Amino acid sequence: MSNSADRRDLFSGALELMILHTLRLKPMHGYALAKHIKQVSEDLLHIEEGSLYPALQRLLKEGLLEAESGVSAKGRPTRIYRLTGAGRRHLKREASSFDRMLTGITRVLAAAEA
Amino acid sequence: MSLFRRRRYTDLEVSISEHIAEAVEELMAEGLSRKEAELAARRSFGNRTLIEESSREAWGWTRLESWWADVGYASRQLAKNPGFATTAVATLALGIAVNATMFSLVSAFLMPRLPGKDLARVYALSSVNPIAGDFAELNPVSAPNYLAWRSHTDTFSDVAAVNDYQSAGLTVNGQAESIRYSAVTPNYFGLLQARPALGRTFAKDEDVPGRNHVLVLSYALWAGRFASDAGIVGRTVRLGREDYTVIGVMPEDFRLLGFVPQLWTPLTVTAADRSAAARPDRDLYLFARLAPGVTPAQARSQLSALARRAEIEYPSSERRWGASMQALPEFLIRNFGIRKSLVVLMMTVSFILLIACANVAGLLLTRAARRQKELAIRLSIGASRMRIVRQLLTEGLVISLFGGGAGLLLAYAGIALLRANLSFNEAVNAVPIALDRKVLAYAMTISVVSALLSALTPAVKSARSDVNAGLKSETRGASADASQSRLRALLVVSEIALALVLLTGSGLLIRGIFQLEHQDLGFPTDHLLTATLKLDAAQYQGPAEERLFAKKLLTRLQQLPSVSNAALSSDLPGGDPSSSSFLIKGERENLTDAPPTALDVVVTSEYFEATRIPVLRGRVFTSADEANAPRAVLVNQEFARRFLGGRNPLGIQLKLSGKHAANTWSEIVGVVGDSKTDSEDVRIDPEIYEAFAQHPTGSLCLLLRTVGSPEALISSVRRAVAEIDPELPLASVATMRQFVEHNRRGNPLFVRILGMFALLALIMAAIGIYGMVAYSTSQRTHEIGIRMALGASRSGIFRTVLSGGLKTAAIGSAAGAALALPLPRVFDAMFSGIQFGAPIVYLVVLAVIVCVASAATCIPALRASKLDPAQCLRVQ
Repeated sequence: MSNSADRRDLFSGALELMILHTLRLKPMHGYALAKHIKQVSEDLLHIEEGSLYPALQRLLKEGLLEAESGVSAKGRPTRIYRLTGAGRRHLKREASSFDRMLTGITRVLAAAEA
Repeated sequence: MSLFRRRRYTDLEVSISEHIAEAVEELMAEGLSRKEAELAARRSFGNRTLIEESSREAWGWTRLESWWADVGYASRQLAKNPGFATTAVATLALGIAVNATMFSLVSAFLMPRLPGKDLARVYALSSVNPIAGDFAELNPVSAPNYLAWRSHTDTFSDVAAVNDYQSAGLTVNGQAESIRYSAVTPNYFGLLQARPALGRTFAKDEDVPGRNHVLVLSYALWAGRFASDAGIVGRTVRLGREDYTVIGVMPEDFRLLGFVPQLWTPLTVTAADRSAAARPDRDLYLFARLAPGVTPAQARSQLSALARRAEIEYPSSERRWGASMQALPEFLIRNFGIRKSLVVLMMTVSFILLIACANVAGLLLTRAARRQKELAIRLSIGASRMRIVRQLLTEGLVISLFGGGAGLLLAYAGIALLRANLSFNEAVNAVPIALDRKVLAYAMTISVVSALLSALTPAVKSARSDVNAGLKSETRGASADASQSRLRALLVVSEIALALVLLTGSGLLIRGIFQLEHQDLGFPTDHLLTATLKLDAAQYQGPAEERLFAKKLLTRLQQLPSVSNAALSSDLPGGDPSSSSFLIKGERENLTDAPPTALDVVVTSEYFEATRIPVLRGRVFTSADEANAPRAVLVNQEFARRFLGGRNPLGIQLKLSGKHAANTWSEIVGVVGDSKTDSEDVRIDPEIYEAFAQHPTGSLCLLLRTVGSPEALISSVRRAVAEIDPELPLASVATMRQFVEHNRRGNPLFVRILGMFALLALIMAAIGIYGMVAYSTSQRTHEIGIRMALGASRSGIFRTVLSGGLKTAAIGSAAGAALALPLPRVFDAMFSGIQFGAPIVYLVVLAVIVCVASAATCIPALRASKLDPAQCLRVQ
C-alpha cells in the first residue's frame, strides 16, 4: 500500500504552502482546490487528491484556514475553505523563507555544476 | 464525543463525499459510465478510510479516541472468549500478586521512611572492622573516636551518638520489667529533625551528671505500659533503680529502621569514656550532619585521615581499624542486613512473572493464529500495520490491567499473610508492611511491562503476516506457519530454562539453609526454659555480691517443683558468646600478633546436666571449684582437636586473656561435647568453659530443665527472682525451642516462601508447556490424519508428538542448566558460611523438569494417537 504522505513530502509543508497560496486568490471547496493545484502543477507534481484533506485539517487546526458550509458549483452541500488573517501572514512568512531556500538551493546547484 | 469534534468530522466527510461526487460527474461528462467513473474517481482519490483517519489525526483527538475504541474492542473480544481471558488474566494476576507482595517488603525495608524531611546531608559514621564481614564497614564507634570526630566542626556541623544496646528494669506499679533503651546525646532528636508528640526532647545540657535523669518515651511504651496517659510528662518513673522524670513522648512514626528502643535517656560521656582504655569499647552509632559547603568526599577523606592518626597514636587498639561514612538510608538498610534475602526473593518473583508472561504470550500467539483471517481482512481494507500492532498491544494491556487489578487483590491478602508471619524479631515487627503507594506504582509498572512482554511479539508477528496468505488460507489457517511454531517452541524453551534456573536456585538455597538449620546443636532443645537477667552495678557491686545472688537464686530455682536441673551461665547454648584469646603453657606462652581465640562461656556446675551436653573426659565443675581454689576450665571437643592435636587435654594449663580474665593459669579438667553456637554458618567453634564461682558475671542466663512443659514454670521463676530482688526484671523468658527459633531470624519463613515460589513456577511452566504442545498438536490434526491413513501406527504418532515436545524440553533444560551453573558461586559470595554447591540439586531439578515436561507433553500426544483418521481428514 502506498502512503500518500510519501509523495507529498517533497519537503515538508510544500502542500500546505500550495494550499494557502491557492486559497489566497479566493475561498474554494476541496474538489476545486485539488483541481486547481493539479492543473497548475500537472506535469511536475503528482498529488493524490485525497492527500489534500489531512493537510486541510492540519491548517484548520492551526487556525490558518477556516471552513464554512457552502454549496458546490453543482449545488451539493460542501465546505468552503477560506484563508484567515493568520493564514495570510503565515503565507507571507513562509513564502519568503521558501524563496530564500529555493535561491539557496539554486546557488548551491549552480556552484556544484561550475 | 464533543459537539465541536463531531462537527469537524462531519465537515470532513461532507467535503470528501462532495469531492468524489464531483469527480464522478466530471468523468461521466467525459463519457465514462457511472461505474467506470466511480472506480476511476476512487482510484485517483486514494484510500478514503486511511485518508479520513489521517485527517482526523491532524486534530490529535484520534489517538485517545481510537485507543478507547481499541480498549472497548479488546474488552469485547475478551468477553467473547471467557476461557482464554480467565486463563490469561489469572496467570498474570498470580505473577503480579507475588511480585507486589514481595515488593511490599522492599518498600518497607529497602526504602525506609526517615523521621525528618531534610536529612539528605545527614550521614552515619562508622568504624571499619579489620576483620572482613558483612557489617565490617558499619562497626559502631568508640567514645574517644566519637569525641575526636565531633571536634572537627569544619567537617561536621553536628554529630550525635547513640548507644543502642541498653537494658534496664522499668518499675511501674511495683512491677519490674526489662526494657531496651537507647542512650543518646542530647542533640540526637534535633539532628534527625524529630519533634516529640508530647512534652519536649533533651535540652543541651541534660547529659551532665545530676541533670541527666530525664527520659523520652517511645510511642509504643507510652501507649502500652502507660496507657496513653496524657499527663505523663513531668511524672517520675523508676528505671534501673533510679528515678527519672519523663519529659516527652515521641510520635508513633518516629522510627529508624533497625533501632527499636522503648525509651531514650541522655548519653553521658564520662571521664573514663575519654581515656585510651575506652578505645576497644566500640558501641556508639554516630549520625552526623555535614557542615555547609562540605562535600561527602571531603568528609570521607577527613575521616580516613583521623582514623590513620588514631592508628599511629594508639596502635594497640586502633591498628588496621578505619572509618567510613554512609548516607543515612544506605546505612540503615545495610545495617538491617535484609537486602540480600530480598534480592533473592525479588529475582525469584521476577522469574515467575517472566514465566507468566511467556504463558500469556503463548496464549496470545495461539489466538492471533486463529484470528489471522480477521487481521488480514482488516489490513486489506486499510488498517495500517502500526494500527494492528497497537490494537493487539491494547488487548495485552487490557489483559494485564485486569491481571494487575486481580493481582493487587491477591497481593493484599498476601501482604496480610506475610505480616502475620513476619514476627521473628522486634526490629522486623516494628516496620509496617503495607500495600502502600510504592507497591501500587510498582504493580502498575509491572502490569504494563508484562503487557509489553507478553503481547509485543505476538502483535508484531501477526501484523507482519502476509495479507494474501491470510485471506486465502482456510480456517485451520496457520498450521503451516513455520515461524509461528518456531516462536512457540522458543517460548517453551525459555519457560523451561527459566523454571529450571528458578528451581535450581531455590533448591540450592533451601538445601543450604536446611543444612544450617538442621545442623546438630549438640544438645536436646526440649524441656528447657531459659531467661536472662542483668545484675545492675547500682545494687550488685563486685564478684562477691554476684556470687551471693547466684547462690540464692539457684537454691530457689532448684527447689521449684518440676525443675530437675537449674544452672546459670554467661550465655545460652546455641547463643552468641564472646571469645577470648588464650595462651597454652609450655607451647604458646608469649602473646603474639594473632593469638588463638576460643568462645568463652562461664557456667555453674549443673550446666551440663541441665543442657545434656555430654561430658566426654574428666569431670565437670563442682562446689570445690570455688573462688579461691585453683582455677579449672573445661574445653569442648573442637578445642581439643584444633589446638591440642592428639594430646590428652586433661592437665594442660591455659591462660585466658580477655578483658576481665584473671592473670593466672587454669587447668583443663574435662572435655565436653561440641555444641553449635548462633551463627549464620555451618560450623562448630572451639569453646572454653569457666566456673561461675571463679569468674562471676553480672549478665546471667537461667537454664532450667523441667519435668513437664517449660512454659508452666514461667510465673514461678519470675516469683523466685522477685523474692530475692523485686526491682530486678527477668528478661527474654523463652523455651529453648523458642530461643533457637528466634535465632533463625526468619530463615524458616524465607525457605517456606522460596519453596512456595518454586512450586508456583513449576506449575506455571507445566501449564505453559502443556498449552503450547496441545495447541500445536491440535493444529496438526489434519496431518496426523494423513499419516494414519497412510499407515502410521498409533504408537508411532504418540512417539512423534512426544519426541517433538521432549526435544524442546531438552533444549530448554540444557539452556537453563547452563544458566544455573554459576548459582552456587553467586550464593556462596552472597551468604558466607553456607556451602551451596550441591550437584544433587541439579540432578533432582533436571529430573523434575523432565518429568513435568514429559507429563505435559504426554497428554496431547496420547490424545493425538487416539484420533480417528477419518475424522481428522474431514477437519477443515
